[in-house]
This record gives sequence, C-alpha cells and structure tokens, in this order.
Amino acid sequence: MIKLVGQRLLAMVPLLLIVSILTFSFTALLPSDPVDLIIGDRGSNEQHEQVRERLGLNDPFVTRYLDWLGRAVQGDLGTSFFNSVRVTDAVLLRMPATLSLTFASVLISVVVGLGAGVAAALRPRSWIDRLATFGATIGQAIPNFWFGLILASVFAVTLRWFPATGYVPLGENPLGWLLSITLPALALGLSTSAALARQVRSAMVGVLQQDYIRAARAQGLSSRRVIFRHALKNALVPVVTVLSFQITVLLGGALIVEQVYAINGIGSLAIAAVRQQDIPMIQGIVLILVLVVMGVQLATDIVYGLINPKARPA
Amino acid sequence: MSAPTLSPTTATGTAATTRRRPRWRASTLAVVIPSALVLLTLLICALFAEALSPYDPLQQSLMDALQGPSAKHWLGTDDLGRDVLSRMIHGSRIAVIAAAEATGLAVLIGVPIGLFIGYRGGWWDWITMRAVEAIVSIPGIMVAIVIIAILGSGLHKAMFALGILYSTAFLRLARSVVLTEREEVYVKSARVIGASPRRILIRHIFLNIAPPLIVQVTLTVGAVLLAEAGLSFVGIGVQPPQASWGTMLNTAAAYMELNAFLAVPPGLAIVVTVLAVNLLGDVLRDSIGRGVRLPAATPPRPRSAAIARKGTAPLPAREDDALRVDGLEVMVSPKGGDPVPVVTDMSFRIAKGETLGLVGESGSGKTVTGLALMGLIGAGGRITAGQVTLDGTDLLQLPPSGLEKARGTDIAMVFQDPTTSLNPAYTVGSQISEVLRIKQGLSRRAAWDRTVELIDRVGIPRPAERARAYPHELSGGMAQRIAIARALSCGPKLLIADEPTTALDVTVQQEILDLFRDLQDEMGMAMLFVTHDLAVAADICDRIAVMYCGEVVETAPVEQLFRDPRHPYTAGLLSAMPHGASGTPPLPVIPGAVPTPGHWPTGCRFAPRCAHAAPGCALPVDLTPGQTTTNAERLTRCIRATDLTLEAAQ
Ligand code: SF4
Repeated sequence: MIKLVGQRLLAMVPLLLIVSILTFSFTALLPSDPVDLIIGDRGSNEQHEQVRERLGLNDPFVTRYLDWLGRAVQGDLGTSFFNSVRVTDAVLLRMPATLSLTFASVLISVVVGLGAGVAAALRPRSWIDRLATFGATIGQAIPNFWFGLILASVFAVTLRWFPATGYVPLGENPLGWLLSITLPALALGLSTSAALARQVRSAMVGVLQQDYIRAARAQGLSSRRVIFRHALKNALVPVVTVLSFQITVLLGGALIVEQVYAINGIGSLAIAAVRQQDIPMIQGIVLILVLVVMGVQLATDIVYGLINPKARPA
Repeated sequence: MSAPTLSPTTATGTAATTRRRPRWRASTLAVVIPSALVLLTLLICALFAEALSPYDPLQQSLMDALQGPSAKHWLGTDDLGRDVLSRMIHGSRIAVIAAAEATGLAVLIGVPIGLFIGYRGGWWDWITMRAVEAIVSIPGIMVAIVIIAILGSGLHKAMFALGILYSTAFLRLARSVVLTEREEVYVKSARVIGASPRRILIRHIFLNIAPPLIVQVTLTVGAVLLAEAGLSFVGIGVQPPQASWGTMLNTAAAYMELNAFLAVPPGLAIVVTVLAVNLLGDVLRDSIGRGVRLPAATPPRPRSAAIARKGTAPLPAREDDALRVDGLEVMVSPKGGDPVPVVTDMSFRIAKGETLGLVGESGSGKTVTGLALMGLIGAGGRITAGQVTLDGTDLLQLPPSGLEKARGTDIAMVFQDPTTSLNPAYTVGSQISEVLRIKQGLSRRAAWDRTVELIDRVGIPRPAERARAYPHELSGGMAQRIAIARALSCGPKLLIADEPTTALDVTVQQEILDLFRDLQDEMGMAMLFVTHDLAVAADICDRIAVMYCGEVVETAPVEQLFRDPRHPYTAGLLSAMPHGASGTPPLPVIPGAVPTPGHWPTGCRFAPRCAHAAPGCALPVDLTPGQTTTNAERLTRCIRATDLTLEAAQ
C-alpha cells in the first residue's frame, strides 16, 4: 500500500508542473498590463518602471516562472494585486466553506447513491429502480444552482427550517454549520446521487451474475452476507473510479452553488478575482484547487487499492 | 478502392451493409416527439423573438415590478417591471447562440488538433495529452473562469471559454478514432497492393468519426446550456440587461423572498431544454449503436408441446442411497417468453461413496440439473416437478432457510472455472474460514487453523502462506484445489462437481481427478460428477448417466456402458471419443446438431439424428430397464434398446 501511495505521489509531480506552467503562462496572454491594473493610468512612466521592476515583469518568462514556482513550492503564491492580502492566506481562509460543502454533498451522493443503487440492483424494475433511472436523467438536466434556489425558497424562505444564506464555521457552532450547509449540499449531492445509483446498480447487477456469487450461495451463505460482503465490495471497484471524477465535478458545482446561499467560499473569491483580473489570486486558486483534486484522487486510489487486491503493486 | 480494405469491424463498414432502418418503437417515439417539439419551439422562439414577445424585453416599468402571473403579464414581471415571458423568449435566442457558438468552437478546436496529434504521434501527442489531462483534472467551471479572466465576460467571450473547455472532449475523441483506424488500415493495407495507406486512412477517419461525433455534440450542447446558465448566474457570463435564462435566475435569487415564482420559468426552460437534448442524444446513440452491432438473430420460439406423460417409474430404493432424484423437471422463462423445459423426467440416485457421472453435450441440461439440486437455478428458472431426497429429507420441500442451511453443510458444489468461482476481493483462506465460522460456528482462530489444515489436505505446499494469497495470485489448478477445500470444509454428504477439470491445463486435470478420488475415499461422500468428457467420466465414475435434451437416455455402470451401450446416442458418443492412446481426433459421427430447449421433438428427442429411428419413435419414450439384462442398474430410453446391435467403445 505504501508503494502504491508512493507511485501515485510521484505521478502527480509532472501533472502539477504542467498545471503550474499553464496557469502561470496565462499572465502572458492577458490583454491588459497588470501594472495599469495596480496603479491605474495616473502613474508616471517612472512609477510604472518601478512597479514592473518590483514585480519582476522585466525578466524573461522562464526566469519569472521559475521564481514564482520556487516561491510556490514554499507555500508563497504571491500577493493580490488589489489589496496586500497574501494569496495563500486568502485561499486557505475560504477553503473550509467550499470543502465542507463539497464533502457534505459527496457524502449525500454516496449514501443515497449506494443505497438506491443496491436496492435497484436487487429489485430490477421496482419503483426504486425506476426512480433512480428517472432521477439520473433529470439530475443531468437540472442546473444544481437552480435546484438550490428552489430548495432555498421552499425550506428556507417559506418553511424557515434552514437559514437561507451564510456559512457558519464548524469550529464556531457545529449545529449551525450543519444547518448552513444542509440545503446547498442537498442541491449538489442529490442530483449526482441518482447518477451514482445507476453506476452502482449496473456494477452490482454485473457482479451478482458472477460465478463467485453463485459459489458463495452454494456454500450456504445467507443472501445478506452474499450481497453485502461478497458482491458489494467487488461492485464498488468501478464505482470508486467514477466517484473520484464526480468529486471534481461537485467541487466545481460548489463554486456556483455557494453563490445561491451567499457562502463566502472559493467561488466568490474566484469570481471577484476574475472581475478585477487579479492574476496572482486566480493562479493561486487554480493551483490549490488542483492540489485538492489530486488529494481526492490519491484518496480514491488508496480506497481502490484496498478493495481491489489486483490493483496493488506486487 | 478494393473491398478487403474496408474493415468489417468499423462502425460504418457494417452499418453500410447491414443497417436496416431501425423500427421506431412506441417508447422511443414517446421520447423523440416531445423532445423534438421542445427544441422546435426553442428554435422558433429564437428566430422570431421580436414577433413573438408581447413586450420589449428591456422595457422597464417600475410601477409593475415583481408581479405574479396575470392576464397582462402571463409569467409576471421582474424587479424592474420587465415582462418575464418576453425575456424568456429572448433568452431562448441566447441559449441557441450559446449552444451553437461553444459547441461549434469546441468541434473546430478539438477535432483538428485531435486528428493531428493522433496522426503525428510522438512528442506532439505526448505534450498535448498531458496538457489535456491537466485541464481535465481541474473542475470544468474553474477552467472556464480562468479563461474568462483572460478574455473578459460577456456572452461571446464566455462561450469562447466554454468552447475551449469542451474542445478537450472532441480532441480525445478524434485522436482515438485516428489511433484505432490507423491500426486497422496499416494492418489491412499491407495486403493490398497499390493503395496508399494515407489516403485510405483519411477516408476511414471521415467515415468513422461521424457517429461518435454526433453523440458528443449532443452531450456538449446539454453541458453548454447548463454552464452558460451557471456562468451568467454568477455574473461572469451574459451581462445584464441582456436577457438570458441564467441572468434571469440571478435576478430571481436576489428577489427570492419577494417573488419566488421568478425562479420557476427560466429554471424550467433550462431543465426542459437540456432534457430534450440529452434524451434525443440517447436515442441517437442507441440507434447508432444498433446500426453498428449486428442484431443477434433470435429465431421465433415455437410454443413447445406440452409434455404430458406419466414419466419414468420410480427407481427401486437401495439402502445405501445418499441421494435420490425422481422425476425432476426444470423450466426456464427466457426474457419475455413462455417457460421452456430444460430438464424433464430426471431420475437417478447415488449411493454413499459412489460417483455418478452426468455426461452430455453442452445444452443437454446437466449443469442445470446440478444447480437445481442446490436450489440455485437463479431467477427465471423454476423446478416444476420432482423430488430430491438427500439422506431422507426432500430438499425441494425445505423452506429457503432450510435449504440455505443444507447448502455447504450437506451438499456442496465445485464449479468449472476456479478463477471465477473464488471471490477476487478476498484471500482464499478467508473464503474458507468464513464458511467454517458461519456454517460450523467455529471461532476465528479455530476456523483459520482448520482452513490451513484443509489447504494442506488438498495438496497445496506452504498452506499457511497460501491461505493469505488472493485468487489471482494462484494458478488454475491451485485455485481449484482451494475451491475443493472450501466445498468439503463442512464434510458434505453430497458433492456436485460441475466440469471441475475442464478449465484446467491438461497436465493438472489428472492430479485434480486423483484428488477427488482420494478425498472421496477418505470422507465417503456421494459425488455427482458433471462432465462432457466421457474419458474423464470413465476415469473417476462408478456409474454414468448419459443426458440428451434435458433427459437421461441411458444409465449404467461405467464398464457396462463402454462395453455394451444400449442407446444409439451413447454409442455415437463412444465412437466419437479419441481412440485409445493414438489420440486420433474424433470424427463427427452423429449427424446434425443438438436441438435447443424449446425445439425438442415430441417423441424420442434423439429421433431426428438417429440412424435407427422407427415409426414408434415418434411417441415419448420412458427410461426403462432393458430386457436383455436383469440388472436394475441399467436403464435405457429407447424403444429399440433390446433389438439393436451397437458398436461398443474400442
Ligand atoms: S427411440 Fe428410436 S429414435 Fe430414439 S434412440 Fe431409440 S431408435 Fe433412435
């Protein structure tokens, strides 16, 4: 298992490098001069030159990239063009809200998806099977931020069961935290859960036809044991791969759904940065998001290795 | 262009020759018609927005702000008193433009690059694919946000960003088509003289890229519509006051407490449109898929004649019988079809310590018989008659829980392919000890110790170490020994072995047969040995029952069966065996093929292939003791069993 983790970690290095080159080089693509953005049109040519010098904009591209990379590796992603906030601090400050929302929605998606998927596999063409199929089709067509709006207007505005807006940090008030992320997490998680249920169902149906399931029954093991011990573990193998991809999608969805509930997460940070063309901030957000995605992939790889002995390096 | 270069496996190759116009089924139509109507409405709204809108979508009237639906404003008004219906209609134009721009751009960027790197290969390919992987690893919306940061917001710029984002999908698609076709073309063109591989390749690519491309386009259109709405909603896509469904939802979110209805029309419009596109895409994908794959010819299934007859007389009881099967009948219902008999009038018995070989060709019902005894024929199959008595208890009368208890303890089974009958996710040791713990209530420790003993007993060296191996780490022979150890772990009275050596290497087969023999000597269980191989049956069995079309046609002690077969089918099988040590390949002695279940003749089921068929053979035949022998062990299902002279095994 340690070997597996080591291999995966090594494989991430080139990917991270490429992402960093891509994100960095888009400064070069920017139509406007960052110096103008910072000091406005008023400044004299001299001031311009000073700022350029200070930002290292006169150095060749490669030098600037290596410089930036060197500092990025140490956790310094530069400072915002607009206020002297350190990018790393700003991103880390917003991260808990986005991550809470993402993982709560992953949890909902997994719990509902697994449950419904297994139930649908055991009773093909039952109501739960149809519901999963229907839900997956509809779920693909519903913008999750709109679903969020509807949930908010029903459960927050009309029924007042949940707060309509805002995010309460977990450390501050655990119950408040739970209430504040329930609706957005439902908005995100439910629509994906149906798709996941379909995955689980088809994997499960495939596994239940396997010889080893019949053999386990032939040993007189109970249906429950055969399904939950012998079949489910094997059915999860393809599902975990899908899940890894879905977590990335949910993370992206969280950036938008945050806006519905006025949650101050990475989404609003990114959108503000885009509006202001705050380059260091955008670079930092992308890089840190990629790190998060890679962390998720590593975690799913580990789970994959745990449930699928064949995937473990010999 | 010569015919052989057109590969038959490529999508259009077969499609061109075998595609029949797919017959639209009612369920398909129920999807296609509404979806098409939705998209048509959308297009009409987009084209004639000015003419259709009752108001100017930008005309404000603060007096009428935030009204609900009324006769004047069918869908109400927004915060600035603008007519929602008019804005919806104009929004549909934005949706169409957005979908067309972003999808078109994605195709224009993705396909050429994909074709190029697929064709060129090497560094170009490597670098591009790494960049694509990097882009794909970032949440898509973030990629769009970054590109918008460079370009600035607004409908066209945002769609440019989405076009770049979704081009990765087209890039990968085009690349994979090139790579597949390249392989095909270069392999085939080696045989064709005078054809330039490059020209053929180009032709092939253009033929084959269309179907997946169309499907990908529908997927992309749906995704673009959702993404446009999302970007406009957060304020970096379409900019107000321009009316897009996304910006309208932005307004709706701000005035949620005052007029919740504002969120409904634009949201529903998005859902319905995306749904229509996706559903049409599904139908398209299915019909393209159908064109590619040759539909398996399913012959019409005639209603099988009801088999009404008294069947074979019950076999006389013997004292040492472990298992008695009397008049067993199994029906299987194929999907959407009438039940078809697969096993009928099945009677045999096995004494303690005895091995009965159930021999027949594939499809004769021998495996189903084995599974029926275990109560494991699965969904769609049903035991419709008969008795299965194991040591005095009728297994078929047991409730499901009783049968579950009997399985593993009293009756166990070894399957054909050991590599698939062991669970790949658990160590082999844990799969044996699980049975011991559950069926015999052993403690974890005791079960494990017993497991290692069992693994040792079936002849695996270093058992304690091997117990911790996963199935894929063992050879086929080794895995089958594990499966045997598991089946015998609770000392069953009956062991069913279903072709247990067929999947194994020839050199290992004999070892496994010897193992079965040894274990039977030691444990004294009865054994039902299912095989298609008479030579294997001769080696290990005491008696043999030959099956044909779901029934036993002859049963006899091994030596008698080989020396003096009484049924023409048995004789045919015997003469088809490789002769002696020379191993000459068998000749197809029996003309014709085994009829499949549901197509069995009503009389003697072997009659169409029998060289000795007589008029009397058109009636059902029972399994009866032959008159030439007084031996009750010999039964034959042939009306001419006594008067024929059949060739014996050599
Ligand atoms: S009953 Fe007639 S057709 Fe059938 S095997 Fe005997 S001789 Fe042949």
